[in-house]
Amino acid sequence: MKVYDGTTADSEPATPPERVKVGIAESKVTDGDAVLTTSGLGSCLGVAVYDGSAAVAGLVHAMLPSIDEMEGTNEAKFADSGIRHLVAELEKRGGDREHMEAKLAGGSDMLDFSENGSGIGVRNVEMGRRTLAEFDIPVVGEDVGGDHGRSLRLESANGDLIVKSANRDPITL
Amino acid sequence: MKVDVKSLGTFNRLAHEGAEQATASLCQMTGLDAVVDVTKITLVNRADVGDQLSDGDYVGVQFEFDGELAGDTVLVFDRSGSETIVDSLVPGGAEDDAMARSSVEEIGNIMMSGFIDGWADFLETTIEHSPPTYVEGDGAAMLPEPPNDEERDQVFVFKSEIEWIGESVSFYIYMFPEYDPLADVMARTGGTEDDAIPIDKLEVFNEMTKDGTQQAAANVEMMTGIETEAEVTRLSFAPIEDVPKQVGTDTYVGTVVEFTGIPSGFLLVLFDEASAVHIAEAMMPVEMDEDELTDQHKSAIEELGNIMTSGFVDGWANVLQTSVEHTPPRLVHDMGQAIVDPLAAQVGQHQEHAFIIDSEMRTDDIEFGAEIHALPNEKELRQALDELLVERADETQADVEKIF
Repeated sequence: MKVYDGTTADSEPATPPERVKVGIAESKVTDGDAVLTTSGLGSCLGVAVYDGSAAVAGLVHAMLPSIDEMEGTNEAKFADSGIRHLVAELEKRGGDREHMEAKLAGGSDMLDFSENGSGIGVRNVEMGRRTLAEFDIPVVGEDVGGDHGRSLRLESANGDLIVKSANRDPITL
Repeated sequence: MKVDVKSLGTFNRLAHEGAEQATASLCQMTGLDAVVDVTKITLVNRADVGDQLSDGDYVGVQFEFDGELAGDTVLVFDRSGSETIVDSLVPGGAEDDAMARSSVEEIGNIMMSGFIDGWADFLETTIEHSPPTYVEGDGAAMLPEPPNDEERDQVFVFKSEIEWIGESVSFYIYMFPEYDPLADVMARTGGTEDDAIPIDKLEVFNEMTKDGTQQAAANVEMMTGIETEAEVTRLSFAPIEDVPKQVGTDTYVGTVVEFTGIPSGFLLVLFDEASAVHIAEAMMPVEMDEDELTDQHKSAIEELGNIMTSGFVDGWANVLQTSVEHTPPRLVHDMGQAIVDPLAAQVGQHQEHAFIIDSEMRTDDIEFGAEIHALPNEKELRQALDELLVERADETQADVEKIF
């Protein structure tokens, strides 16, 4: 995981926040003034975790529910291991899980061809909620499910998560 | 030559890490911020490689390398991107042609040395490379002359796409390894034999896809009366999480089906919005004045997607001499990457890497482009190829003599 430390950059108040791209199966945290973005969430789940008192924030773009279901070493690819890793990284940067809040977006069930059982989108969202509950981190905003894709923008300054879709106006969680 | 999934995975990671090293040295020298977006290995007709770059104006450097691996490698910058780089090295330097050129050579040399050294380290050998040759022009001008190898028209190409943070320009690293040394190295880094696919079968699969695309194009022509040509066909290999990035974040309209049989998987037919409107109107009995995509356009696209899918799948089934069933098409209208993402996730429950089949078609009559992407189950694809007799590639065309 790459850590972007705003304090090492030239930090004049006028400079726009650093833009950090979070790819599929990646997670990034920041303790500076940054905007974390990720695009093209279909059934993938975006989880934003923010601790305002420590001014740290992070975003993970997970593809599948659980690392236990298959071989894999990339923690950020899965909702459960991705959230655990994100919380650990935020704590390394001074965050405290007791002050953290989470927002979830994505987990759409578009193009779900599974005939029985729940689709990946639904399972990603459930796993996201369950893993956050392990840490007692409240989910304070959600825009999940439906049948459309989403792109996200997390503003580290205030924890706002802006959700954009192709055929809908952006909403702020 | 046999290739196995494990060595393709290893080579993909290696090319990706090499590109990351090269990008890191660029960022360090210029203070600009860039990330390697996607790396993939493609088996493609050598003559088609430059297609993706053909319309642009580019500058870059070429190198030859020799040793355990031999071949050519090219670093390609969009011209305006290169100006940003030159200005960050020498403020105002982009104005001076000689200065701009030598800056591109210098940065290219540093980046590509890192890229090639990464490969040499992995193979525990040394790989020599030539001094950089500066190149500029359109896509075809950027790539080295294809080798005189009449036996093989399909070659492996390693390609990384690197994105400037906050800018819409990208740059590319291409590597064209020579066939024989690559075959030796792949044989050495390979895993167990059962994973291996003989290369000639992969080539046949590519041919098969090409026939499927031609069939799909013929169906479009039949339905719309617009002359349509199948263009490029590629078989690529990438980590599953990179699959959605093969399609951009632009909005697409199209259809998706799940197909069953050996192999099973997903097939997408995608049109950019403008193409969707144009082709749908060509199918409609009455003139429409709207540029916006309406429900009528969408139902025309659904119909078109259906016949293109059937054409494509028929081409496969003929070669494999099996039947391939598919679900009714589902209409999609969304960000390209978000359309592919749930499909990659469904395939990704069983595999870490994926083969991706891409085809494109174009027509000269109207502004129209369509892409077909297939995402087969990797193990089943291997099984299908195992069972495939190479001679059958000729059989997508029905043999009239045999039938009558």
